[in-house]
Amino acid sequence: MPEGPVPQARSVAFRGGGFAPRPVGIVGPIVFVTLLLLWELGSRTGWISALILPAPSAALGALEDLYRSGLLFKHLGASLERLVLGWCLGTLAGIGVGISAGLFSLARAGVVPLVSAIFPIPKIALLPLFIIWFGIGEASKVATIFFGVFFPTVIAVTGGIDNVDRGLVRMGQSFGLRWSSVVRKIILPGALPAILSGFRITASIAIILLVAAEMIGAEFGVGAYILMAGNLMATDQLIAGVAILSALGLGVGWLIGRAERFLLRWRG
Amino acid sequence: MQVSSRIRRSVICAAIVAAGAVSGGAWAQEKITVGALRFTSHAPTFIAYERGYFKQEGLDVELKFFQAAQPVAVAIASGDIDFGITALTGGYFNLADKGALKIVGGLFAEKKGYKGMAIMASNKAYAAGMTSPAKIKGHSVAITQVGSSFHFMTGMIAAKYGFAMSDVSLKPLQKVGSMIGAVKSGQVDAMMMVPHVAIPLDKAKAAKIIGWMSDLGPYQVTTIFTSTRNTAERQVQVKRFMRAYKKGIADYRAVMLNQKKDPAATEAMVKLIHKYVYADRPYEKAAPGIKAGAVYINEGAALDVGNVKKQLDWFKAQGLVKTKMTYKDLIATGYADMFDVPK
Repeated sequence: MPEGPVPQARSVAFRGGGFAPRPVGIVGPIVFVTLLLLWELGSRTGWISALILPAPSAALGALEDLYRSGLLFKHLGASLERLVLGWCLGTLAGIGVGISAGLFSLARAGVVPLVSAIFPIPKIALLPLFIIWFGIGEASKVATIFFGVFFPTVIAVTGGIDNVDRGLVRMGQSFGLRWSSVVRKIILPGALPAILSGFRITASIAIILLVAAEMIGAEFGVGAYILMAGNLMATDQLIAGVAILSALGLGVGWLIGRAERFLLRWRG
Repeated sequence: MQVSSRIRRSVICAAIVAAGAVSGGAWAQEKITVGALRFTSHAPTFIAYERGYFKQEGLDVELKFFQAAQPVAVAIASGDIDFGITALTGGYFNLADKGALKIVGGLFAEKKGYKGMAIMASNKAYAAGMTSPAKIKGHSVAITQVGSSFHFMTGMIAAKYGFAMSDVSLKPLQKVGSMIGAVKSGQVDAMMMVPHVAIPLDKAKAAKIIGWMSDLGPYQVTTIFTSTRNTAERQVQVKRFMRAYKKGIADYRAVMLNQKKDPAATEAMVKLIHKYVYADRPYEKAAPGIKAGAVYINEGAALDVGNVKKQLDWFKAQGLVKTKMTYKDLIATGYADMFDVPK
C-alpha cells in the first residue's frame, strides 16, 4: 500500500442512470418519412434509375390502380383467409403438442427430436409433394402455412413451460394443489409470455410463407400478386405488394401487442 | 563455341518473344460473357463455344449458367453479361421497356413438320372428352407464371379456336416440374410441354399429347438478345458474336434436324451437348432426351419480326405489359435476317 496523505473527501457525481429506453414516439415516423423522401428525390433526379428501384410515388400509383380495379380486397381477402386458417390451425395443434411435450416426458422424448428433424426443412422444397398430397386448391396453401406455424409454436410452448419458475411449482405442490391446478394456475400462466412472443414469430413466419403458399396455382392473394409482379418485372407493383405485406405485419404485431396487454395484465 | 551458342540462344529467345508479341497483337481476345441455360434449345451456344467459333472471331467467351431465362435478361440489363437467349415474356417486354435490351436474332421457332412444344391433356380430362386443343375451352391450364411463354401459348390456342382467355382457368404453378405433377395427377386438365418431356410422358401413359403448337402457325419462341449499349457502342463485337453463333446454328441444323442422315455426326454432337445438358446423367440415359429435345432453330438466326410484333401486341392487350413501345424498339437490325417484317 502506498503511503501518503489520506485523500480529502470529495463529492462523487451520480453515475447511475441510462440503459433505460424511454419511448420517443416521433422518431420512428420521422425516420420513415425522411427515407421515403430521399428515395423519391433520388428517383426524380434520376440518381436512382427506374430499372434499379421504382420511385415510392410509382409504387403508390400501382397501389391506387389496384384499389381502383377492386382487386385489392380480393387479393387481401384471399390471403387473409389462408393466413387466419393456416395460423389458427397450426397454433392450436402446436399448443396441444407443445403442452404435452412440456408436461409429459414420454411425449417430449418423441416430439422434440421429430420437431428438430422436420422444422428446418424448407416448406418451399416440399411444394411439389404438397401439390400431390393436398391438391392445387386451398388445402395446399393452408397446409404450407400450417406447417410453417406448427413447429415454432411447439418449440415456443415447450420452452415456455420449461422456463416456469420451479420454485413456484414446488410451492404450489407443498400447499397441496392438485396436479391439474398446478398446470392451470401456475404452469400455463407462467408459460404464457413465452407463448405470446412465440406468436409474434409464427405470425411473421405465416406472412413470409404466404408468398410460398400462393406459388401453387393461386389466382388471387397478395403473394400471388407479388409473384406476378416479379415475373412481369413490374417493379412498382412488386414494391406495392411488399408494402401490403409490411402493413399486414404491422397490423398483426399490433393485435398481438393488444393480446399481450390483455392476457398478461396479471403481471401488473 | 560458347559465344555463338549464347548468341544463338538469345536470338531464339528474341524470336519467341517477337512471335508472342505478334500473335498477341493479332489474337487479342475480347472478353465477353454469355448467359446460357442447360437446355438442348441452347445447343448452338455450346457448339460455337466448344468448336472454337467464338475464338476465331477474337471473342474470349465465358459461359454463365442460369436456372431460368428471366434472370438472364436482368443480368444483361444490369450489364453483368453481354448476350443471352430467352423466350419473349411479359417480364422481358417490361424490362425492354426500360430501354436496356435489344433483340438481335431469332433462335427456336415452331415450324410445321418439326416437333416443338406439345399440347397435353391429363388422362382424366382426355377420358372426359378433351381430345383436341379446340376442346381446351372451359378447362384448366397449367402454366409456370403469369406472363410466361406458357401463358402466351394458351393465348395462341384460344385465338386459333375462337375462345376468350376468360374461358380457361390458368393455374400458375411456378415450376415446370409442378406443372407435370399437376397434370399427371389429373388436378389440372391441360399444359404445353417441351417435346423431350412430353413424348416419354405420353408413352408412359401418364398424360396424352393432343396436339402440337407448330400446327397453330408460326411462333418465334426464343430470341438472341444483348444490351442496348452493346448495339450502340460495340457493333463490331455484336457482329462477330453473331457470325460465330450462326456457325454454331449451321452445325446444329445440319446434324440435329436430320439425325438419321449421319449417325456418327449425331453421336458426336450429342456428346458435345451432353457436356452441358443433363450432365448429371450418364450419356446413355441423357442421349435420348437430348435427341428428342432438338427443336427447330431458324437458319442464320433469322428473326420472325411479324411474330415478335404479334406477341408484344398480345401482352399489351392482356394488360400484362404497359408500354408505348412498338416492336421496332425491341429489335436491333443488321445482325441477322429479318423476315415477315410488317409493312
